[in-house]
Amino acid sequence: MSSALDRQIRPIYDALDTGSNKSAIVACNKVLKKHPKNNLVKALKALALVRSQKVEESLVLCDEVLLSKPTDDPTLNAMLHVLRGLGRHNDMVTMFEEAYKQQPGNEDLGVQAFFANVRAGHWKSAQQIATKMHKQFQEDRYLYWNVISAVLQANDPTTPPNMRQLLYKLAHRLLAAASSSPLGNTDRFYLHLTILKELSLLDDAAALLDTEVGQLICAANLSCNELRRDIMHLRGLSKEEGERAEGLITGKGDRNWLEFVSLLDGTFSHLQGSNENAKEECAKHIVHTQEVLDKIVENDGKKDRSGLLALVELETRARKHDLSTDTDRLINLMQQYFETFGDKSCCFEDLKPYTLLQGDERESWSSFLENVASDVSSVNNLQRVINSYKLLRYSLEPSEITLEAEEDRAVLYMQQYFKALPLGNALPTTELQPADDLAILAGAVTVNMWKVSGDQQYLCRAAIILEYALSQSKQSFQMRLMLVRIYRLLGAPSLALEHYRSMRIKQIQNDTLSHFLFSRTSAFSLGSTGDLTLSTECIEASQVYLTNSQETSDFVIRAFTAEKYSQIPEFIAFEDRLDNSLQRDMTKMEHLRMRIAHEVISSDIIDMELIELKFIFDRQHHDNRDFDILPNYQPHSIDSLNKQTLLFDKADGKGWLWTFLKMYIRIFMMASDLDDTIEEKLLVGDRPKLSPDPEKQRPLKERLADRKDEELEELTPEEYALVQYADALAEWLEPFHDYARPPPAVVLAEAAKLTEQKTGLPLKGVEIPPHNGNSNGHKKDEDTPPLTEPPEMVLKFFDAMKLRFNEVKTSGDFSQILHTATIIQEAFLLLATVSLRFKSTSVVKIHKLGGLVAKLKPIRSDASSVLKDISTELAAISASETTAENRAAIAAVKLGCSEIDDDFATQITKKLTDSRKNVLEGVGKGAGRLCGTYAQ
Amino acid sequence: MSVLRPFRASDMFKFNNVNLDIWTETYNIGFYLHYLSRWPDLCCVQEAPSGRMMGYVIGKAEGQGLEWHGHVTAITVAPEYRRLSLARKMMGLLELVSEQIYQGFFVDLYVRCNNQIAIDMYEGLGYSVYRRVKEYYGSLGIGKGGRDEEDAFDMRKPLSRDTAKRSIRANGRDMIVTAHDVS
Repeated sequence: MSSALDRQIRPIYDALDTGSNKSAIVACNKVLKKHPKNNLVKALKALALVRSQKVEESLVLCDEVLLSKPTDDPTLNAMLHVLRGLGRHNDMVTMFEEAYKQQPGNEDLGVQAFFANVRAGHWKSAQQIATKMHKQFQEDRYLYWNVISAVLQANDPTTPPNMRQLLYKLAHRLLAAASSSPLGNTDRFYLHLTILKELSLLDDAAALLDTEVGQLICAANLSCNELRRDIMHLRGLSKEEGERAEGLITGKGDRNWLEFVSLLDGTFSHLQGSNENAKEECAKHIVHTQEVLDKIVENDGKKDRSGLLALVELETRARKHDLSTDTDRLINLMQQYFETFGDKSCCFEDLKPYTLLQGDERESWSSFLENVASDVSSVNNLQRVINSYKLLRYSLEPSEITLEAEEDRAVLYMQQYFKALPLGNALPTTELQPADDLAILAGAVTVNMWKVSGDQQYLCRAAIILEYALSQSKQSFQMRLMLVRIYRLLGAPSLALEHYRSMRIKQIQNDTLSHFLFSRTSAFSLGSTGDLTLSTECIEASQVYLTNSQETSDFVIRAFTAEKYSQIPEFIAFEDRLDNSLQRDMTKMEHLRMRIAHEVISSDIIDMELIELKFIFDRQHHDNRDFDILPNYQPHSIDSLNKQTLLFDKADGKGWLWTFLKMYIRIFMMASDLDDTIEEKLLVGDRPKLSPDPEKQRPLKERLADRKDEELEELTPEEYALVQYADALAEWLEPFHDYARPPPAVVLAEAAKLTEQKTGLPLKGVEIPPHNGNSNGHKKDEDTPPLTEPPEMVLKFFDAMKLRFNEVKTSGDFSQILHTATIIQEAFLLLATVSLRFKSTSVVKIHKLGGLVAKLKPIRSDASSVLKDISTELAAISASETTAENRAAIAAVKLGCSEIDDDFATQITKKLTDSRKNVLEGVGKGAGRLCGTYAQ
Repeated sequence: MSVLRPFRASDMFKFNNVNLDIWTETYNIGFYLHYLSRWPDLCCVQEAPSGRMMGYVIGKAEGQGLEWHGHVTAITVAPEYRRLSLARKMMGLLELVSEQIYQGFFVDLYVRCNNQIAIDMYEGLGYSVYRRVKEYYGSLGIGKGGRDEEDAFDMRKPLSRDTAKRSIRANGRDMIVTAHDVS
């Protein structure tokens, strides 16, 4: 490149680097005037255009550059970013492969072509390139790239199962060609072992592991050691592994619990032999292991829990095999454990798996715990008391969980809480209070009292107790999580949001924790009044998915470069789990439900959403939601706190999402002019990889109509009614939509016209059919479908739901009131969506749909009047919520403790009622506004 | 009693009970993947037998010549698992790997000068202050804790390769450098 041109190009890079895309475009145009054929400048302009969302214009330049098959580094690099921005990974592969083909001696281009395939997940082509590169450049690294690509192809869900073994065999054969020993590099060693393990070549694996270097690697590398352990088990060498673990535990002071598990597995492996004396043999080893562990316990004292817990586990297993020699031993050990480690907060969790005892043992364990001194004058004592409460509570039987008994517990926990609270007086506000768990326990008990009695005053009580405890311990995220759930149940979403935000959830946590906020969040949305708070939260939380799809593959590439073969499959699995996250699309669905209440429903929205929903419909979802984070101290015999506090008492998951996806896709497909052929032409990026799941390969229409019981079970009764209504609506109207929908050629011509107006260039690949004079009319040969009566399900839906609303409106269950109201609103909006096509008088006239319109109109006006009533009712409920009497009534709730003063309770009550008032009022107003928009 | 195992990319889906604690930062995905793509053996997790995460450590190997060493970037334990010597075990592993795999001269870490509890713990593990880094944490200006809150101690522990014990110096607390010098 001439230096003059170079000087002209530099400012373009500068502009791109600083994000001034506009000036980058101007600078490009200037250079292009003189050098109209310069590929680099074209590519840079395409990049600036992509970044300014001018996709159509960018496409034209992008295609030009691709056609010229560039090989120079700067152009390729610029194109890499352009194609990534457009989601065209397949084109990226072609571009780099072409370049490498033209310059086969260029190692860097080979690497780039390989990486392009890695990014696109084309493992087979990646293997081919790696093979070629290994031949030419004779570097072991390319051989290993080839090997791991074969492994990745074997692991790919689209690979048929019978190919798996073959690919691993191929990988194994390739490894034999390596010039250096696998022992020279930990990750190469790891890859060897993985393949040998998969092919059950366990002796070969053992030979590698038994080398001196192999042993050294495993001693210092946890990943390799993990594999080693697996291989030992596969070889049936639990006994040897147990002996090895014993050596580590006694000789090297190793306290990794995995070693203790190996020791125990080894002890009981003696049972497996066909030997008649197997039991006797095992009993002997149990005695030996006991002695070993006794010594550990003696030496470690309070320093480490492993020895003592291993003794508990040993006894539990011995019992299972009828090899226990002392009936009191288990209880004694558990008591010893509690005596030694009761002052650690993990004691409860450690003992939990062993505490579900029967008969006398249960009695004696309970009485031991009940006799734990209730003194909370030191932090250690307090922790003991907390552990005893948690353990006692966990093993309660249903007969012991009455309202009265729970009341006593709640009172006790709060008494102890206030006694213990001063222990943390001197702590800075950034620390958690040692007494926190007592308030959390009291909160859990009161939530259960709500479940037992159905009386919402207990939820208010839980909220006040937890708010108080939180005011003393500002960083307690566990209390906040409980409050988020409770406030949603109480119909006070703004307070839930406040606590949610205080936890500063970010990055990947947006995937695992946002269900706390977004599950069925549209019931609380004020989008219909123009308030976008929740919609914005959805969009911000979804950022992490874009980051994932843009950045994670870079790290896969880095792992290739650094030859970290142990990480590559992990990164790819991670990317997939996040990309196909269930929460991602549940958030998306809630966002859509809020969007149609906020924006005026138009064909643009319908088309765009439809394409996206159809993509989602082909995904294999992973559920990454974290529910375990919510503390659970409920008895084992009743539902967990998570289950108890789910909104509307229904767990939403795959079934819920699937049902709503089908409903919206079906409705939007009806309302849209797009069909598959048009979509194909208008699509910019790559299509998602096709799922191998036979279920997903059935025709779309069939899949949409399929309603599975296990999916429907995740719906509330209101949602179920909505789905049935939407199905009936679709059944009735589909023939008329299909009849009136303009033919694909006409739709495409329209799209092409719009593109041309925007970019000045025709739409690629679209041939406009010759004008036949009636492009607007496109009258069909067949007749208008026969007019049918609207189905009962549609006719009766709104009145039935009005009845339902009347039932719940006085229930005091505000979230339920909002749920019913917003479902009615959603039904009304779906009706508006499917009526959109018939609003054009010319369409109605040409297709002779006057009769249909006449049938639709009364349904719409009936729906509108129901919704209007509800809007009025909500306003009335909202007004009564903040009256002094109502507030006083809530604040007067019995708290079971005198230390929380009335002022505090009043203040929380005020916040609660204000929040409820706002959401009821807003949803009511919004519903009224929607009536005005769509009634006609 | 806990399971010591490698940190995996998928652990990002389950570290909430550790990371919701205010002293533990949740970084972007790239942060964790960057460490895992280069020093996977210096990243490990402690897990309860129930599978619940207890804590983790993320480290790297860096430095030129005699400064080649293992570095502790983040070490954290969930509130409910504190006072169980978990940090000690994770540091032990990191030291072992820094010594045997990376053949470093020492292991180092940064700690707020006012975090006495942590400093005591690291001293108990054989670390000593090598130098004080001015305004290492300070983007907020001087907080309530004064200079000690924004300054960091660079604490080091020699490994066997550091035969001359260069990573220990008696007057480390008085050796003051700027954040710019160390980054």
